Amino acid sequence: MDQPQEKPEPVKITITLPTNAYFMSGIRDFTLSMIKNMTNFSEQWAYRFQSVVDELCNNAIEHGSNTKQEIKVSFINYPGDSVEIVVEDSGTGKTKMKAADLQKIVAERSKPGYPFTEIRGRGLAKIVAAWTDELQFEDLANGGLKVKVKKYLKNPALSVPSPSMSGAPDHIVLTI
Amino acid sequence: MAQITITVEDIASSVPDKKIKLLKFAGQLDESNVDDKAKEIYSIIDAVPQGLFLIFDFEKLEYMNSKSIGYLTDWYSKLSEKKGGILIANARPNITDILQVVGITQLVPCVGSVDEAKIAVMK
Repeated sequence: MDQPQEKPEPVKITITLPTNAYFMSGIRDFTLSMIKNMTNFSEQWAYRFQSVVDELCNNAIEHGSNTKQEIKVSFINYPGDSVEIVVEDSGTGKTKMKAADLQKIVAERSKPGYPFTEIRGRGLAKIVAAWTDELQFEDLANGGLKVKVKKYLKNPALSVPSPSMSGAPDHIVLTI
Repeated sequence: MAQITITVEDIASSVPDKKIKLLKFAGQLDESNVDDKAKEIYSIIDAVPQGLFLIFDFEKLEYMNSKSIGYLTDWYSKLSEKKGGILIANARPNITDILQVVGITQLVPCVGSVDEAKIAVMK
């Protein structure tokens, strides 16, 4: 009799980085490489995750954390199921916002035909919300914000199976 | 820090009231460099009073963030007010993808090559 297959354990990688956009090109390279090598998402989605991570981190850097502080970004791969990305700031930034405020802003700006008049403001509503299945904001005890997004691999069109993706993650390539 | 270079060339125009410039982007436009580069583009736009068309060659553009797209819409608005415009040529699939999701491709025409862009401007 066949033994029931065990569900693979999620793999979590957390990176803490200084509040400075200087480091974002490295985080984008890491995201692209990780999605391509550790998940079953297609290359198109690897690029999309790259944008999602970049936009979330830029918001945390610009609004959520003062210079000389840090932000934290976590990648959680649920093999064959989904990828979750969590970005946390320290709540020391110049424009303090609560989770409820951000939820309201995203809902407003996601409406079709919303008139964007500023240079900024499209990232969360037009990119992050469009390219994820779940988008949650949470107030942290330290006054910071946690933004959690999740994308499910439920649609077969999203994935391109690769022989190297059958088991545990084999490698991540970091380009510095 | 992400690297980006933008080179600017004048293109001969067969239409007297249209001035055309080709801007070739190479590298990544992100939070660390876009504000500085945007100033260069605004200078180009401000220097021509009417009928300036910018062809953005994105063949070597690897990444652009939402703020870059915000600037792109602002440059387009400023040029449109002065009977000019912007055309995007040669964009990579990931760049086209992000322009589409933000809805910019409904505003700024995207074509497959610089030659196509030139023809479209000189029509």
